[in-house]
Amino acid sequence: MSIADNIYDLHKCRVLRVYDMTDEEKLFLLRFENSETAESWTFSPGQFVQVALPGIGEIPISICSSPMRRGFFEMCIKKVGKVTDIVHTLHPGDFMGIRGPYGNGFPMAEFEDSDILLIAAGIGMVPLRSVFLYATDNRWKFGNITVINSARYGKNLLFRKELEAMRDIAEAENINIIQTVTRDPEWKGRTGRAQEHIADANTDPKNSYVVVCGPPQAYRSIFDTLIQQGYDPRNIYVTLERRMKCGVGKCGHCIAGSSTHLKYICLDGPVFGYYDIISTPGLI
Amino acid sequence: MRYLKIKSDKIHPFLERLSTYGALYGPVKISEEFYDYRKIDDVKDVAFEYTRTVTPAKKYVIPTRQDMFEFDMDTNEYRETIGEVEPFVLFGLHACSIVGLRILDGVYLDEYPDKYYKVRRDAGIIIGLSCLPDEYCFCNLRRTDFVDIGFDLFLHELPDGYLVRVGSEQGHKIVDENQDLFEDVNNQDIQNFKKFERKRHEMFQYQGSFDNLRYMLELTEDHPLWDRESDKCLGCGNCTMTCPTCRCYDVQDIPDIDGVHGKRIRYWDSCQFRSHGLVAGGHNFRETKKDRFINRYVCKNAYFYPLGTAYCVGCGNCTHFCPANIDFLKNLMEIRGISEGVYEHSR
Amino acid sequence: MKIGIHGLTSCYGCQLSMAIVRRLLDVVDKFEVEYFYMLSSKGDIADVDVAFVEGSVSTDMDEEEVKKIREHAKVLVAVGSCAIHGGVQSILHNEGIDYDQAFATVYGDRPIHYRGRVAEPIDKYVQVDYRLPGCPPEEEEIMYYLSTFAIGSWPEEKDYPVCAECRRAGNPCILIERNEPCLGPVTVAGCDARCIKYDIPCIGCRGAVPHDTAWFDSLAKTFKDRGMDKEYVRKRMAIFSAHHGKLDEMLDAIYGD
Repeated sequence: MSIADNIYDLHKCRVLRVYDMTDEEKLFLLRFENSETAESWTFSPGQFVQVALPGIGEIPISICSSPMRRGFFEMCIKKVGKVTDIVHTLHPGDFMGIRGPYGNGFPMAEFEDSDILLIAAGIGMVPLRSVFLYATDNRWKFGNITVINSARYGKNLLFRKELEAMRDIAEAENINIIQTVTRDPEWKGRTGRAQEHIADANTDPKNSYVVVCGPPQAYRSIFDTLIQQGYDPRNIYVTLERRMKCGVGKCGHCIAGSSTHLKYICLDGPVFGYYDIISTPGLI
Repeated sequence: MRYLKIKSDKIHPFLERLSTYGALYGPVKISEEFYDYRKIDDVKDVAFEYTRTVTPAKKYVIPTRQDMFEFDMDTNEYRETIGEVEPFVLFGLHACSIVGLRILDGVYLDEYPDKYYKVRRDAGIIIGLSCLPDEYCFCNLRRTDFVDIGFDLFLHELPDGYLVRVGSEQGHKIVDENQDLFEDVNNQDIQNFKKFERKRHEMFQYQGSFDNLRYMLELTEDHPLWDRESDKCLGCGNCTMTCPTCRCYDVQDIPDIDGVHGKRIRYWDSCQFRSHGLVAGGHNFRETKKDRFINRYVCKNAYFYPLGTAYCVGCGNCTHFCPANIDFLKNLMEIRGISEGVYEHSR
Repeated sequence: MKIGIHGLTSCYGCQLSMAIVRRLLDVVDKFEVEYFYMLSSKGDIADVDVAFVEGSVSTDMDEEEVKKIREHAKVLVAVGSCAIHGGVQSILHNEGIDYDQAFATVYGDRPIHYRGRVAEPIDKYVQVDYRLPGCPPEEEEIMYYLSTFAIGSWPEEKDYPVCAECRRAGNPCILIERNEPCLGPVTVAGCDARCIKYDIPCIGCRGAVPHDTAWFDSLAKTFKDRGMDKEYVRKRMAIFSAHHGKLDEMLDAIYGD
């Protein structure tokens, strides 16, 4: 066996740009150093990669760019621990090790010809941005699209400016962008939780796929609102987070669920359907 | 299947021959009460009557601590550190241990095969050995008490030797290359084999199957047992370390003091430890000792569908090696809602 | 990067362990050592990136010194059982023994130029950023901590008990087998279960497992079931954990007041 057979081996990636997003989040644009990898490497929206810095460690991070952009990808990384502390000190020209992509991702082919409703709470916009950009890159494949981006304060709304900047073209493309905050007295726009704005979506509940990402405790009431407004539970998806050490079902850290539905978040997820969630106690 | 017999007086010569196929490891008595797999330098040290070992056979395919990569922090480059793995022979594995390895195979050699595991697994010859259950054993309830694959040779105790089942090409090769040690199985041997199996069957504390246990467990979230038993728990991780199928690991980077080099290692972890369910930012998916305690019951009783058995193989290690005397089997029976007496009567 | 290595009241064994690491030359190559009393009487408490402090606070001088060290350090690491847990000299804590009387028993009426007090862990007086456990710490861990600081990162502290390392090592469990009062289940790992390997029950010298996961109550129950009385169990557990906030509460829960 050669090193290529080692599933834990890392691709060397160069940081091309670093954008400050919020006080805690930075967006990194990366490119594979190896041109063959750059050409062949691809992923599905909702998948994640393991990011490694030698001497520091490895962590799972969602990809937040569109897979249509070959050779490059973006990750929005929050400064919360040993690895991300150092990631935040990286500059263009520095390297990261990357392996993956891992996880199931969203069933984008299934979404085709339907409307798409994306609901993000807190930092939920990170994986949803990949779905959103993929859908806009392939605009003709999908129906109406609504993005609801919510956070406590305006300054915490991830990709707020990017979404604002898209507003004009979005309207022309039947894309509805809703950004709302729950606690910000300075905020001029919409307020309230994400679910309070579902009624304003341009998506047809009878023919829509819904993707929800946010803190797990927010899911229950979002589900309730969606089902109440006629969205089909079979078409509701969420994406979950755990501390994966391997990303490939070995290390056991992301095992969750119950004795009849034991799930590896890294292999069986991170994307789960509504019925997976309700028949797997302990998943959220 | 190919069957042979090896007589008692040939067993030590057989072990000596086995050591020519690779470093020989087998069960050895290490203290008054305990056994462990050790490197065999004198075949007379091999303990044929052992029931269980302190460390399960998994340590030969997943070292307790192993280097994964050496790295260079300046160039951001990694070099894998698998190294050469010499052939080895694991003698004396019981059926539960062999199923345990097969479950690990399912996990480690799936669509993402783990090279570190594979090189060790490929280097090992597995020789099974029959056993009699003690009060902690319940492999029969897990249907892992008899194995048909997963070994090269399997030795079943007879009054005057062993009935040998050949389970692989490697097994055939060993038998063929050492024909002088083996003879054909006769009628009396077959009768003795059946007698042993019958006796063994009757020695298990309980009869029946645990197939529906995982549903009952799922419906037992509020049982008072969880508080009662997790209060006793030391959180020491003995249960998972000694489990033949627990294989959670943690990864750590160890930089060198030169600030340039270093290595990435992995080592046995346990869901009974606080940091196992911890994610960046401080949220813990298994915050309390009770959460962690329940997690092991959930995980072990879930099914590994490719084999159609639970992750728990019924070896009883977690009970035997629990310093707090937490009885896994008794607790599972309580979850099943069957008192000991009733279950015993169903024999 | 600048470091200082300081000692309060202690046996100086932690400093000694740091002074005799095999790759000391690499360490001094990597760091500017501003203070290391065991190696040089030169130097004073100076501004450093990382200060390592061994020893407990047992005198007014100790208290002043550790506060001054903290003021001058960006990161402070408590080294060893004295600094982290108070050390064996904390044994009088919560024992109901009059300190002055105990002091007099040891030192008689000789004039002593400082006033002693019951030894305490340093986090009673200053914020501690990291803990390097051990009595003394193992070389491997000392090097790991230094190396992570050297690259601008920080060490991951072990949060699991000695039992994990003991089972990984394939030792027989002497608590189960011989009812030995082994404190492995509540003691933080890192020593590779050295004592048990030599057939000696763990005395808990590395201190309790952090983050409130040292279950003295469950272990006391295990000991009680094996016929050990409260006084014996408390004495043993208090050798290195007298200051553990929950020790007495947990023992009372098992043995009664």
